[in-house]
Amino acid sequence: MKNNIFFLNKIYSVLIIIFLLLVFSIKSFANNSSWKGNIDSILPKEWTMQTAAHLIERTGFGGTPEYIKKIYLMGPDKATNYLIYYENINTDHMPKFDESGIHDPGLINFPPSRPATTKLAREKGEALGIKIKKSGNRRLQPIVNKFFYWLRASRLETQRIAYWWSNKMLVSPRPLEEKMTLFWHNHFANSEAKIRDYRKLLLQNKTFRKHATGNFRKLLVAIAKDPAMLYFLDAGQNIKGAPNENFAREIMELFTLGEGNYEEKDIREAARAFTGWNSDDLTFIVNKEKHDNGRKTILSRTGNFSGEEVINILLEQKTASEFIVRKIYKEFVNENVNEIIIEKYAKYFRSHNYEFKPLLKLIFMSKDFYTNENMGSHIKSPIELVISTYIKLGAVNTPGIPDFNQSTSAMGQTLFWPPTVAGWAGGRSWITPALLMERGNFARSVLYPDIDFIAKDFYSPDPKIIVMHDSIRKGADITSATKASNGGNNMMMAESNMMADRDEDFNTRYASYKGWQEAVSKVKPILRDTIKISFTNMIINSGAKNSKEVIEYLLNRFLVVKINQSKKDMLIEFLTTNLGTNKIKEAESYLEEPIRMIVHLIMSQPEYQLG
Amino acid sequence: MKNNINRRNFVKYLSGATLSSLIPIKHALSNHHINDFTDNKILVVLELSGGNDGLNTIVPYGDDAYYRYRPNIGIKEKDLLKIDDYFGFNPGIVGLESLYKEGQMAIIHGCGYKDPSFSHFTSMAYMHTAAPNSGEEYGWVGRLADEMAPESYKNFLINIDKTQSLAVRSKKHVPIVFDHPQRFQREGFYSVKKMLKVDKNNENNNYQNNSQKFLNEIAKSANEASGMISNAWAKYTKKVDYGIATLDLDKIVALIQAEIPARLYYTSYRDNAFDTHVHQNNLHQRLLTYTSDAIRGFMNDLHRIGKEKEVVLLVMTEFGRRVPENTSLGTDHGAAGPMFIIGNTVKGGHYGQIPDLINGLDVGDNLKYTTDFRSVYATLIESWLKTNSQKILRKNFETFNIFDTTV
Repeated sequence: MKNNIFFLNKIYSVLIIIFLLLVFSIKSFANNSSWKGNIDSILPKEWTMQTAAHLIERTGFGGTPEYIKKIYLMGPDKATNYLIYYENINTDHMPKFDESGIHDPGLINFPPSRPATTKLAREKGEALGIKIKKSGNRRLQPIVNKFFYWLRASRLETQRIAYWWSNKMLVSPRPLEEKMTLFWHNHFANSEAKIRDYRKLLLQNKTFRKHATGNFRKLLVAIAKDPAMLYFLDAGQNIKGAPNENFAREIMELFTLGEGNYEEKDIREAARAFTGWNSDDLTFIVNKEKHDNGRKTILSRTGNFSGEEVINILLEQKTASEFIVRKIYKEFVNENVNEIIIEKYAKYFRSHNYEFKPLLKLIFMSKDFYTNENMGSHIKSPIELVISTYIKLGAVNTPGIPDFNQSTSAMGQTLFWPPTVAGWAGGRSWITPALLMERGNFARSVLYPDIDFIAKDFYSPDPKIIVMHDSIRKGADITSATKASNGGNNMMMAESNMMADRDEDFNTRYASYKGWQEAVSKVKPILRDTIKISFTNMIINSGAKNSKEVIEYLLNRFLVVKINQSKKDMLIEFLTTNLGTNKIKEAESYLEEPIRMIVHLIMSQPEYQLG
Repeated sequence: MKNNINRRNFVKYLSGATLSSLIPIKHALSNHHINDFTDNKILVVLELSGGNDGLNTIVPYGDDAYYRYRPNIGIKEKDLLKIDDYFGFNPGIVGLESLYKEGQMAIIHGCGYKDPSFSHFTSMAYMHTAAPNSGEEYGWVGRLADEMAPESYKNFLINIDKTQSLAVRSKKHVPIVFDHPQRFQREGFYSVKKMLKVDKNNENNNYQNNSQKFLNEIAKSANEASGMISNAWAKYTKKVDYGIATLDLDKIVALIQAEIPARLYYTSYRDNAFDTHVHQNNLHQRLLTYTSDAIRGFMNDLHRIGKEKEVVLLVMTEFGRRVPENTSLGTDHGAAGPMFIIGNTVKGGHYGQIPDLINGLDVGDNLKYTTDFRSVYATLIESWLKTNSQKILRKNFETFNIFDTTV
């Protein structure tokens, strides 16, 4: 008899499991594999909180449960229109970049290197707006100091621009505008490492935003004339009779066609069409004398082409539309592309005159976009991870601790500092064993901010500068201080270290130290605040009554891909242990720390990287 | 006239490269596996990203054509560190010069491949996969790991970088990729940290998509490797000067010293540093000095820990540069260039055919390759790591007789 009951119980539980599996599979297959490759619009009846959340993850940086509900209630058509056709949403309340005022006219046409600066000074008697000292030792020192000052100052100011931009990503009511601005920064990847002028990068950032979801041709023309891009790809060296192929190569290989869709001679000819294009500080100019007016043959077309006409020729290539559509698909839908759907989108893109909004509308409305395979499959970039973390935590600004730039750099991405002109590789390349740990450690540093935080913009990470500073302060002469900062005589010196102090006209190490000191004193500081958040209020407002409900609420709030049951059970048990009870009501007065620990655990899960 | 004499003199430096290609490579060792712990040879690859200008690194000053092509950026004979009556080292590479003089540096000339790509990304991908002008999903070092060690073998392949190089992409292994060993560990309140180490994934996991599966695998491997790496680094004290940039070679010494199981290491001079289009001479010399100092430091450090006979370093780049200088006192993307193999067990000297600056240029003024770069890989795979290279490189490549077998 006892055995029978046990047996019946077992059957009963098996039936329940089968029933649950059925329910689960019906629910998840409702919008599943049959939708793959289908560009028909998702129907209002197929629209769920889940699809709304997916749309928000991809068109922006994720949202709070409240925001997801708002988008959900709009229905798919209104929601996509709201997110894509955003021009009517007012953004006047968002602050303009607050410049420190570190630039002066002497810094215009900043030389490409320290040797170029001292060479210029010797030829002209002055450089960077400073004259060579009439007589005495180290006559070029003030000039070299200023050279290093500007390198440091522009870099620090660029970090402030990154902060300003991160705040826009966080609070902008037009998330897609910022997401596409980021997309273009990756596509036309220029780095402060070479440009060394924050003003040009700020200008370029505005250009990306202006054309974020506009017309591809207009964007290409604007970027071809952009002072940062012109400098980055050596436009100054591209002159009649001696073309520099750098820009012509990249516009074909990286910006419009992709390798294999042009020949070397097309690059050489296209370079001629862009000769004479340059900038006068922050203004685009064409130097007519340096422009090659001759006939060129590019991609089988012959004529006396200008740079704009080359862009037209590039966009006449079918591959151009496929190239950019593929990149958009990889970024916004799935890293693994299906060429059939790319062709369909590319055709639509061409027929809409390379306008992005109609294309984006088609993509974000398509059933393909909402297949299970595509939902939660995107590995977030470090920038996306950081911004979405702050959004989901309910932050109103990017905290100063941890430092935004240091955090994203540690995870492999620094705004305005892409590794090469090809940008960040994205996708799985964001993840290595160490980088995955860095991501978890980022969560730690947001939830448990360092109390001994010292911003790197206020102290040099270079130990040589710190030793130099100590020695100079104690009254050491420059040569001795430089030697001390080489680590004294204890080490057998490598060649590069022995050469640091050879030129008698100036001391490079000292200039680097002085430059740092002046830059730090002129660049405005970043506010070092920590995130303001009450987990107690979050949980009480959620209405969760016990550990299980709390875990479910938090998993839903922070993850788009679910973790397995044993991990979930582990979290529930951990919370109950730390609360000393299973009932939230009883633990209300001391909820904060246990919830914080749970959030740290959730944010350290592999699944937290997905959007 | 001068050219001809020098060229003839040079024949004596050439190795039996062409001869060895006639001798069938024995594959008796093809079943060789890492299980055989008596063999503990290590390969380190240093990549100079951006396309190092080979002609201004190992300068053929004995050839007038070099100065004709490079009237402004050609390095003057008096400034060079002379190797012989034809070649001189760039003045910035005193460290490499000393290694060469000690007989520890092999220069393999004219490394490249057929139908070269002038794109950094494409050409580097070819170098990474050892599969020019064809698709290959995995990297050559990754495939080498697959061949050398069974799947169950952990932490075999180390890549020090921010992001994983295609070269180490492997079918069976998860390469341990890290940048800062001291940061390669989880931070957190002790009870949370304890929870983070709990592995709650199992075979029966149903993943929603491949990205989730991928992330869980990486997380597992991160947990397994992090303690080992950060401990090794904590125990290491730098006692040798590596110059201004160590190129992460010090980290590799730390791991070798700790005797972690890794046999393959990959590191790079990052971010297209060697892409010297404009005003290149000062910059290029500085880059070479940093590289040369770092390599000299690395070799000294290996000697210090008594592992100099167990390690060999390959120095490579994605392409050489255009032979004629450009109008911006720099050089544009080119084709063939030299590779270096450095180590205590290496028979120093010149290998491969020296490219001909007059008859050896293609239509775009680039050096035609004289050595398929995969011959260099094959040499390391066969002669150093005693592994069958044909399976990894898909073809039999001639190898150089580069290692001193008496060691």
